[in-house]
Formats: sequence, C-alpha cells, structure tokens
Amino acid sequence: MNTPLAPTLDVSSTPRTPLSRLVGVEIRKAIDTRAGFWFASSIVGLVLVVLLIYTLAAPDAAKNFGDMLQVAGGVLGYFLPILIIMLVTGEQSQRNGLVTFTLEPQRSRVVAAKFLAGIALAATVMVLAFLIALVFTAVAAATGATPEWSVEGSLLFNGFVLANLIGIFVGFAIAMLLMNTPAGIVAYFVYSLILPIAAGILSALSSGFEKIAPWIEFNTAQTPLFTGDYQPSGEEWAQLVVTGTLWLVVPLVLGTLRLLRIEFK
Amino acid sequence: MITVDRLTKTYGAFTAVDDVSFVCQPGRVTGFLGPNGAGKTTTMRVMVGLTLPTRGEVTIGGLRYHDIPNPGRHVGTLLDASAQHVGRTGREILAIAAQTMGLPKTRVDEMLALVGLNDDEAGRRLRNYSLGMKQRLGIAHALLGDPSVLILDEPANGLDPAGIRWMRGLLKGYADRGGTVLLSSHLLHEVEQVADEMILIGRGRIVARGDRESLLAGANGTPVTLVTSLDNTALGAALTHAGHAVEPVGPGLRVQASPEQVGRTALGAGVVLTDLRSGGAGLEDLFLELTSADAREAVAGLAAPTTGGLPA
Repeated sequence: MNTPLAPTLDVSSTPRTPLSRLVGVEIRKAIDTRAGFWFASSIVGLVLVVLLIYTLAAPDAAKNFGDMLQVAGGVLGYFLPILIIMLVTGEQSQRNGLVTFTLEPQRSRVVAAKFLAGIALAATVMVLAFLIALVFTAVAAATGATPEWSVEGSLLFNGFVLANLIGIFVGFAIAMLLMNTPAGIVAYFVYSLILPIAAGILSALSSGFEKIAPWIEFNTAQTPLFTGDYQPSGEEWAQLVVTGTLWLVVPLVLGTLRLLRIEFK
Repeated sequence: MITVDRLTKTYGAFTAVDDVSFVCQPGRVTGFLGPNGAGKTTTMRVMVGLTLPTRGEVTIGGLRYHDIPNPGRHVGTLLDASAQHVGRTGREILAIAAQTMGLPKTRVDEMLALVGLNDDEAGRRLRNYSLGMKQRLGIAHALLGDPSVLILDEPANGLDPAGIRWMRGLLKGYADRGGTVLLSSHLLHEVEQVADEMILIGRGRIVARGDRESLLAGANGTPVTLVTSLDNTALGAALTHAGHAVEPVGPGLRVQASPEQVGRTALGAGVVLTDLRSGGAGLEDLFLELTSADAREAVAGLAAPTTGGLPA
C-alpha cells in the first residue's frame, strides 16, 4: 500500500471502553491468579470452618441466626479488605499498571472500576457467608438447639454490611496510599487490630483518654454501631463523622490523588 | 503517525529528554537508537501517557493519547514485557487485554499463533517464561487490538537470532500495510536492517537522524568500504596511491572510499576481489561516536571523520 494514511487517527469506530467492561476486567484480575483465587476461596472456606467450630463449641443458647451472622461478619471483616488491597496494589507491586493504564489512560475510571469490582466481590462473599450462617443455624436446630431465626435489621445492616463496607473503604484507601501489597496488609492489620487494642489500653489507664478515644480512633467510634441497640446517639454519630473523616475520607482522597499521579515504572 | 514536538522531561535537576522533536510516518519503520539511559524509554512513556512531559507534547494521529478512546485499538504498546503479573498465564494476560478492548476471544488465539507461542507455552505462568517468550507475548499484546501505530521499546531484547529475523519480517510487513512503527534499541544491528529511518539519541538529545545512507553521508564525506582480494598488498598499495586511506582489517582491508571507487581501483590494478562491501562499520562507528559520553559535542562536529574505530 503506497497511499500514505491520513495523519489523523480515525477514532469514530472505537467508543470509549464502558465502565461495566472495566469492572468486569478488574473482577477477573482479582481472582485469576493463584493468590487471588485461593485468597477469595479461603475467605469463604474460613467462614465455613469458623462457623463449624462455633456450632460445635458454643452453648445452645448462643446459636441464633444473629450470632452466626456476627461470627461470619467478624471473619469477613478481617479478610475482605485484604482482597481489595491486593487488587489495587498489584498494579504497582506486580507492575501491572503499565498495561492497565496504557489500555485505559483515564485513571479515574480505573479507580472507579476497581472500587466497584471490590464492592461486587465483597457483596458476593457476604451473600455466601450469609448462606453459610443460615446453613449452620439449621445444623444447630437439627442438633438440639432452638435458635432464634429472626434477626434485627440494624444488626444485619450495621454489623454485617456496614462494618464490612467500612473495612473495604479503609483497605482501598490504604492500598492507594501505600501502593505496596505487604505494606498495605500490615497497615490494615495495624489499623484494625493494634489501634483498637492500644486505644483500649490507654483508655483503661487514663480516663481522660477514654473520653477522647472515640473522637480520634475509628474502630472505637464504630462500637455503638455493633453493640447495644445498634442505634448510635447524636454524639456517637458526631464521633463517627469526625473519625471517619480522619481515617477514611482523608486517606481515600489522598490515595486517589496519589494513584492519579503516580508514575508507573 | 506519531509527532513529538519539542518534548522535554526533567526529574529534578536531571534532564531525561531535552527538547526532542521528530515525526514517525505511516508506512515506515522508525528506529529509535541510543545507549541505555539516553531517554528512549522516557520519550515512549510520554507517548502513551504514562509520564507527563515537563514541556512539549506528543500526538498520535493528531490526538493526545489521553484523548484516544479505547487506545489499545489504535496504538499497540510494548514498553516492558516483564511488567505483567507473574502469576498469570500468557493466555490469561492476552485475554484480559482482549476483554478490556472489547475484542473476541478468538483474537487471543490468533495472536498466540502469530508470535509462535504454542498451547503449552500459552498455558504457563509468566514467571516460568524465558525473556524471549515474554518478548513474544509482549509483541502479541501490542498487536492484539490491530492498531495502526506500534510503539515498541527494545522488542528484540532477549530474542534469539531467528526471533530477531522473525520480528524484522513482522514489522516490515506491518509497515508495508501502512502501519506506523517506532522501535527502540541500544543495538544498531537490530535496527539498521529494518528501519527506514533512524533517530539517534544520546543524553536526552537527538544527535542525528535520517536513513542509513544519509546518516553515513552526513557523518563522513568519505564512505567506508570493506574489501578482500587475492592480493591485498597490491590492492592496498593501489588504493593508497589513489589517495584513499587504507587499513588492514581481519582478512581484508578497510578503505575510506565508495565500493565503486575500490572496484575501479582493483580493476585498474588487475586484482581479483573476493569480497566487496559497503562498510557497516562506518555506521557503527558513527553510532558509538554520536552517543558516547560527550555526545553533545559530537552533534556540532557531525562532519568529523570517523577514523580509528574498531572493525565491526
């Protein structure tokens, strides 16, 4: 062919990649490696094992569906965020970003796709955990206990859905800020395990700190969501907003800004 | 086509790319040559939007890369064949890209066949790939979206000689069908046989450009010829007598004259030639000289003769 092509690129036949397709790709990337697949499977497996042990060991009076859900939610709370962290930091740790952001240079769309993919994966795992909790409540009923099947709506939403969503948001923010898989996972466990313990110890030692802890430590501020009547008071809501801004909104904004600017090598 | 317009990229006090302008035409293979760290990769990264320029800009077919919808369908990129998740299989890596671009799954198999990765190899995880296999996969990845522009950073790196020949044929055919190809290398011989035009870069600046002949002509008024004959002594004497600089190289002579001049001298001296070649060594010398540590001085002194270089 000797006729020189027009110097302008004809892009009329290639519409922008739809966000739904990007989300599909990100879900695929989260579970198409051995690490990703087995991690996602292990979360479900772990819920299964922990609930099995709980069903065998717990007193009959504590085998209500609500109890089962809380145990399952606890397991998910520790591990779902790690799935998200791996999904985000893989772009840097595995140097995948070079290709990802060449095929979709609008980075904010990739961030949105990853976020939606994380939510979709989390929702799937939650539904599975919900079903597993149902099964073990049935097992408890069949083995002599008389479990309460009904579950309070606010427990289901706060303790199971909202708690896990917050965890996923925090994991997402940490991942974008650190862009390194091991560092992200360690940072998440420091946040979710060590910080509340430290806050608890300091609160026990000093009544002054006990008063300010819910204003500066996110996990402490979340406690009213999962205990008592699951209805935070006005002050408790204010504490949630303050700590949520500090531990969730600010890292999320900074992390997103970093991901949009970082030079993927 | 790719248009690089007065591109500058600095990192702090370090200037990686310094006021670089060039154009890659459709239907041609453009070779981007320079030693390691000369600014080739940075320039290519700016082309696909992975690095933001400090000054200047790059457009592809008149558009900035960010403004090309579904860019993988227009611009095929291979920047680093190892920059993939090592836990994915070759086939899965292509499948993800095909899904992102909205291509049918059959395209993945077509590309695997094109670059010569068989089913067994395609099913292996990337961590078990040799560098050559990664490179083939990277080329498949770049060609996946049937783009009209190819940007390949060191694509021959790690390929065996047969692989390099295969890639040359592939790129030549691609350009002959009207595609724009930019490929970089730090090895002259990888590029000179396939590139219609070469851009030499050293320390972030373009030090020379043109096709093989014009580069040689521009660098050195006297072309270089390699000649071997049945009587090198007699031929050498005749050539010296004719005013051409001669030095022994291997089994023959290296002469600062055109092959035609050498042939005529041999005819006059009655010496039988067994080998007569235009001196590739001239280009190699030029490349080394232009891209050496003091490349910037060499730009101004393009006319300086390239004597005393090592034989190729």
